[in-house]
Amino acid sequence: MFNVPKERAVPFGCVTPAPVGEQPAMITGNWREYRPVLDPTVCNLCLDCVTLCPDACWKLDEAAEMVVWNPKYCKGCLICVNQCTGEALSKAYELDFPDGVVRLEKPF
Amino acid sequence: MTPANPIPQEPSMPATVKTQTLPLLKKLSQIPKEDYYVPGHRTCAGCGPALQYKLVAKAAGPNTIFIGPTGCMYVANASYLCTPYAVPWIHAQITNGGAVASGIEAAFQVLLRKGKRTGELPNIIVMAGDGGATDIGLQAMSALMYRGHDALFICYDNESYANTGIQTSPTTPYGGNTTFTPPGKAIPEGKRLFPKDPPQLVIGGHPAVKYVATASIAYPIDLINKVRKGLNQKGPAFLHIHAPCPKGWKFDESKTVEIAKLAVETGMWNLYEWIDGEYKHRERGKELKPVGEYLKLQRRFDHLKPEHIAKLQAFVNARQKAPGVPVKVPVPMPREA
Amino acid sequence: MAREVTLSGCAASAQAVKLARVDVICSYPIRPYTAAMMELAKMVAEGELDAEFIHGEGEHAQLSVVYGASAAGARTFTGSSGVGVTYAMEVYSPISGARLPVQMMIADRALDPPGDFGSEHTDAMSCRDQGWMMGWAETPQEAFDNHLINYRIGEDKRVMLPQFVCQDGYFVSHIPGKVLLPEQAQVDEFLPAYDPGPHVLDPKHPVSHGPQIRPDQGAIMDLQRAEAFLDLPKVIEEAVDSYNRIVGRSYSPFIEEYLTDGADIVFFVQGGHAATARHAVRHLRDQGVKAGLVKLRFVRPFPSRQLSEVLSKFKAVGVVETSTSYGGSMRGGNLLPEVRAALYDAPERPLTTSFMAGLGGDVVPLKDFYWMARILSSAIKAGRVGKTVYWAGLEEVSA
Repeated sequence: MFNVPKERAVPFGCVTPAPVGEQPAMITGNWREYRPVLDPTVCNLCLDCVTLCPDACWKLDEAAEMVVWNPKYCKGCLICVNQCTGEALSKAYELDFPDGVVRLEKPF
Repeated sequence: MTPANPIPQEPSMPATVKTQTLPLLKKLSQIPKEDYYVPGHRTCAGCGPALQYKLVAKAAGPNTIFIGPTGCMYVANASYLCTPYAVPWIHAQITNGGAVASGIEAAFQVLLRKGKRTGELPNIIVMAGDGGATDIGLQAMSALMYRGHDALFICYDNESYANTGIQTSPTTPYGGNTTFTPPGKAIPEGKRLFPKDPPQLVIGGHPAVKYVATASIAYPIDLINKVRKGLNQKGPAFLHIHAPCPKGWKFDESKTVEIAKLAVETGMWNLYEWIDGEYKHRERGKELKPVGEYLKLQRRFDHLKPEHIAKLQAFVNARQKAPGVPVKVPVPMPREA
Repeated sequence: MAREVTLSGCAASAQAVKLARVDVICSYPIRPYTAAMMELAKMVAEGELDAEFIHGEGEHAQLSVVYGASAAGARTFTGSSGVGVTYAMEVYSPISGARLPVQMMIADRALDPPGDFGSEHTDAMSCRDQGWMMGWAETPQEAFDNHLINYRIGEDKRVMLPQFVCQDGYFVSHIPGKVLLPEQAQVDEFLPAYDPGPHVLDPKHPVSHGPQIRPDQGAIMDLQRAEAFLDLPKVIEEAVDSYNRIVGRSYSPFIEEYLTDGADIVFFVQGGHAATARHAVRHLRDQGVKAGLVKLRFVRPFPSRQLSEVLSKFKAVGVVETSTSYGGSMRGGNLLPEVRAALYDAPERPLTTSFMAGLGGDVVPLKDFYWMARILSSAIKAGRVGKTVYWAGLEEVSA
């Protein structure tokens, strides 16, 4: 009876499926102005960055025995850089990188 | 030391069917890898409450249901039509987190008993802000504690109503600049009132409660262990988690954890557990840094004069002596005409 | 075999809730519905009803508790009266929008100020816009039956809506009447176990219940309930028909007509005062006045089409208003505006007016119905109503 445009649709009872592993409908990697840069030769695997990132953007790759950064969601808050106990993390300007993401002027 | 509660009280609910016991951790490498609060949420960069949510979700694991009263940990996470909660989650009003959790817990109790569903009672966790826990949500929180539901009530404390643009809440510190307590000629300190003490609201007044604790994002192992102790505890438990807010407290977003640590080191936040009548402090009697070191990093305190800071220092000092003993705070005087 | 007992409305409601095998009940005391919860407490304590009986900390909490319990898959029951109903207002829309078929008993009561324990419909009527079903019972028997019928309708997958099951405070909630109780097996046949569907809160299938939406999604959110209400009348008819068959009743789904054959004037009544109206209609008929009664069983969904057909048969309709809507279009209560709206497009429209009666819990004696009948008859003679609202017992009107 009604034409509901797809982008305005709301699921029944406003109940959505739970995400698995990540929420791709909310990409936040385009928020950052700076990104954390890792020097793996200095990293002492204290795991502070993994533990203290509010967006779970550092994970320990056990096979590689090194922490790995998730550029898709990192907001560039730099808590990890500030907390790093091994001085392995530093900040760098996002657009200095070939894959640097242009920061949103304002969200949505 | 407060004596153990003399009247042993069984929670008013029938025997729980939860058999899980979550192990306590000693090191960061033991923290579970899986995230149940996943990347992809609209919280501010450096958000303290988001960090504690991630840690709480890791501590609790997949057999968990979160209740999310309105607040930053609802709105900023659930915009729009997508959430980072990989376990079942339900919105509650800011007024009723405790009540909604009570209903969920009761439903699981009866449905499991009647055989209408199988499995274990899941972890049931209310994730309320300071407003949803101690102000507009206080009644529901207290009733959950009183009725003895097997649930964990978490108050993540960013010391304001943050989601609505930083207004004062009952946990905003004396002297905190918020949009409802701005400093001015007539009210130079901005906020004149000293805060409520959330764990003290729970302790001693709710016979079914056996575990209350404070935690901080600066001490993640401690936080995870306290979440697990609360969940392992039969009946209700209350956790008060300090979660600094870069936007509201006005500090650089990279300093969230640093400021949380300073709060503990200056005594502006005390880490302790209350376990069935006994207080257990993380570090008692240690020399505290002056509160000024904490205040100067946050522009919400920029307007404070030495006499205001002195009042805060006195308040902090008095709180060290014996938690549970009411601290004498200066009652705000009526303003001069 | 069904057994006949004498029960007050509150006790009858409790019996229905027990037979419905409710899972979670949340109580809070307020007159005059409290007795229903007291009965249920006894049943739970004696082991006659296996349900969680939660002592809510207030009416707002009651609704919040059943919201959570229903989302977790429980069949739920709560109730209130008067300012308790309005205190819980925040939670009604979250429940209906989440499509949780919670049931709330309302033994209505006048709203403060000040304290007045007597019946008035305004408490529930002020919640008509919240997306719940709503209807009144005239007797303890009807109250009993309505609870069971409403669970079946509300939990139907085509509906999934919460229900306000109302009865007049004191007149129905406290005055005992004959109630035929069906067997548990009959109720089980009529009302299957609640199946919450795939959205139930369960760690085995995680969902997010109620994330934030954008303003441009708001209309679509509202449309869900609007569409459910369009589908609703059909489900009501099926459920009432099924109940009549299985339990042995003869309810008409939306409206009941009593002695309306050839009637010129009818009283339009919702709730307990219909019982007095029946007597009034019989006496009036004995005196040669062609009077009848139309009783409304559901105010949400408002049976516009049915009323338009039925009321068009008469010359004058007097709507008995037991609620207030200050400043409303009829300057009286809540029902006349809805009746007139339902009649607007009818080819033959009766004269309509309203009578404020029974407010505050006052009785509506037979003589008030005769007074209403005189006014309606005069209106027919004059070809128009004098005004849209009359206050029974408070104004003299020359016949």
